[in-house]
Amino acid sequence: MSKRDILMEVENVSVTFDSGSSVVEAVKKCSLTVHAGEPIGIVGESGSGKSTLARVMAGLQTPSAGEIRFRGDNVFKGNKSFQSGNRNEVQMVFQDPYGSLNPQLNGLSAVAEAVRIHTKVGKDEAEHKALELLDRMGIGKLDALKQPRQLSGGQRQRVSVARALSANPTVLLADEPTSAIDQSAQAQLLKLFLGLLNDGLAIVLVSHDLGVIRYLTKRVYVMKDGVFVESGDTETVFNDPQEEYTKMLLASIPGELGKAARAKLKR
Amino acid sequence: MTSDVKLLDLSNVAIGIERRKRETLVLVREANFDVNYGEMVGIVGESGSGKTMVCRAIIGTLERRGASVIGGEVLFEGLDLRTINEAKWKTLRGKVIGYVPQSALAGPNPVLTIEKQLAEALSQVEGTGSMKNRSKELLDLVKIRRVDTVMKQYPYQLSGGMRQRVMIACALASKPKLLIADEPTTGLDVTVQSQIMELLREIRRDLGTAIILISHDLALVDEVCDKIVVMHAGATVEIGPTASMAKPRHPYTIALNSSRIDVAKPGGELLTIKGNPPSVGQWNPGCRFAERCDYKEQDCLVGDHPALSGKKGEHQSACLHTDKIGKI
Ligand SMILES: Nc1ncnc2c1ncn2[C@@H]1O[C@H](COP(=O)(O)OP(=O)(O)O)[C@@H](O)[C@H]1O
Ligand SMILES: Nc1ncnc2c1ncn2[C@@H]1O[C@H](COP(=O)(O)OP(=O)(O)O)[C@@H](O)[C@H]1O
Ligand code: SF4
Ligand SMILES: [Mg+2]
Ligand SMILES: [Mg+2]
Repeated sequence: MSKRDILMEVENVSVTFDSGSSVVEAVKKCSLTVHAGEPIGIVGESGSGKSTLARVMAGLQTPSAGEIRFRGDNVFKGNKSFQSGNRNEVQMVFQDPYGSLNPQLNGLSAVAEAVRIHTKVGKDEAEHKALELLDRMGIGKLDALKQPRQLSGGQRQRVSVARALSANPTVLLADEPTSAIDQSAQAQLLKLFLGLLNDGLAIVLVSHDLGVIRYLTKRVYVMKDGVFVESGDTETVFNDPQEEYTKMLLASIPGELGKAARAKLKR
Repeated sequence: MTSDVKLLDLSNVAIGIERRKRETLVLVREANFDVNYGEMVGIVGESGSGKTMVCRAIIGTLERRGASVIGGEVLFEGLDLRTINEAKWKTLRGKVIGYVPQSALAGPNPVLTIEKQLAEALSQVEGTGSMKNRSKELLDLVKIRRVDTVMKQYPYQLSGGMRQRVMIACALASKPKLLIADEPTTGLDVTVQSQIMELLREIRRDLGTAIILISHDLALVDEVCDKIVVMHAGATVEIGPTASMAKPRHPYTIALNSSRIDVAKPGGELLTIKGNPPSVGQWNPGCRFAERCDYKEQDCLVGDHPALSGKKGEHQSACLHTDKIGKI
C-alpha cells in the first residue's frame, strides 16, 4: 500500500446547527485529506468544532455544505451516508467509552457482537476473533470477561478500540481518546495506536492537547471557532507555529514540551 | 509556629472501610508525607491508588463514606486529627483547611447564583465589609473578570474553567493555611489547565497558602510543586524534592516517568507500566508493586510492604533493591 493512496477527502465542509433560537456555525469550510496509513491530528480548544467534524467524517453528521468523499465516492447522498458499502472502513472511538459500551455486556461479548455484525461469522469464530483483538489491545481473557464498570478507564477505552477494529477499518477516528484516562493508561493507548499505524491503519486523532498530537501524528490541523487556522507537518507547526492561537496551545502542554513556549509567552 | 512543627504530617496512615461481618477492607496502608507551611506538594499515582481517600482523611470526611483512619498518624500543626471530635473538625474543615473536591466541576450548587455560593462560603467566616464586596474580592483573587456579570450567573452558564475558579474562590474564603485541590483540571482543556496551574502558583505566592495538588500527571506536578509524593496501591512508594525526583529511584516512578509523552520523541518508545495495580482486597504480602516490577526478587514477595528508606524530608523510596536500580 503506497502512502500516497488517498482514502478520504473533506472539501469545504461546513456544519451549522440551527435550533430556532440560535444558530451555531460549528464547522466552517474545512478541507483535509486522509491518506492510507497516515496519522493526522485535529487540535483545538473545547467548542472549536473538532467532534462535529469527526462525526461528519464518520458519516454520523450530515454537513450543511461541502463534500466528503471516501475512495472517490460521495459519503453523503441526501441524509444517508456510506451507501456504497464502505461504512466499515471508517470507525470511530469516543472520549467516554462508558457512553459507547453496553454496561451489561462484558468486553468479550461486546467485541464478539461487533465481529458478528461486521463479518457474519458464527458465534465461536466471532469469540475467537474478539479475544484476538482484545489481546492485541492488551486485554487478557480474565479482563475480557469483566463488565465495563469493573474495568479501569484505560481498559474500557481499549475495549472500545478493539470493538472498532472488528470492522477491519482503514481509518480510525479517535475523538479525545486519552482525555478521560490517567497518564500511564494514556501512554499504553498511544503505544497501541503506533502499532496500528505500523499495520497500515490511518488514524485521525482529535485532541485539545497538542502534546498528544505531536507524539502520534505527522500532519496537524489547528482548529479554532470552526476554522482550520493553521495546518501542516506536525513537527513544523510544533517548532515554528505561525498563529497566536497555536502558540497558546503549545504553551499549554503540560511538562517539558510546553515549558519553553510558556516562558516565551510570558515575556 | 515553631519551625520544626509541620503544617501537616502523615505517617503510615491506613484507611479502611467496614464491610459485612465486621470485616475491614483496607484501602490505604502506608500513606507517608508531610507538608511545610507555604509549600506546594504534588501527589501522583494511577487512579485507585488512594489519593482521594488520603484527602478525605485530612479533612475528616471519611466517616461519611463509612471509612476511617485505622492506623498511623495524621498531624495538623502537631494536632492528632484522629483524636478530635466533630465540633473541632468544624473549626478546621473548610476553614483552616480548604478543599476543592475531585468532582468540583459538578460541585457548585446548580440552583444558587455565584454571588449566593460565595456568600454562603463567606458566612462561615468573619470578615469586614459588605458581603458583596467580600465576594467580589474573592472573584478578583481567582482572576475572574467581568465580576459583576459573573456574580449574577448560575454555574451552568459558566465554562468548566470558570466553575473551577469559583470553587477555588469558595475554598479560599476563610484564608486557609492549607488548600487541597483534588485533580482540579481533570476533564478540562490543557489551555484551561495551564491557567489553573498559574492561578494555584499565584495563590501560593501571594497568600502563602500551602497547597496539595493531586494529579495523575507527573509532568503537571513536576513543574509547579516543590515536593512530589508518588502513591501506588495505597502506599507512598517515593517522595522527594521535585528537583531530586527528576532522577526517580522507585521502579514504579521510573516507569511512570518513562511513560511521559512530554519527554518522549514523537513516535518513539513509550515505556508503559505492565499490568494493572492490584485491586483493594487483593493485596499480596510483600511489595504491592512486585507483580509489575522488572527488578523484583524473591524477598519482595514476603513480609510487609517495604518501608521508605532514608531520612524524612529527604528523597525517600520504598523499595528493597534501590541499589540495583539504574544498573539493569
Ligand atoms: N447537536 C448540536 N446542536 C447544537 N450545537 C451543537 C451541537 N453539537 C455541537 N454544537 C456546538 O458546536 C460547537 C462545536 O462543538 P464540538 O464539535 O463539540 O467542539 P469540540 O469537539 O471541539 O469541543 C460548539 O459551540 C457546540 O456547542
Ligand atoms: N466505598 C468504597 N468501597 C470499596 N472500595 C472503595 C470505596 N471507595 C473507594 N474505594 C477504593 O479505594 C481505592 C482508593 O480510591 P481513591 O482514593 O478514590 O483513589 P484515587 O483518588 O487515587 O483514584 C480504590 O481502589 C477504590 O476503588
Ligand atoms: S521492593 Fe522489589 S518488587 Fe517492590 S519495587 Fe522494589 S524491586 Fe520491585
Ligand atoms: Mg469534542
Ligand atoms: Mg481520586
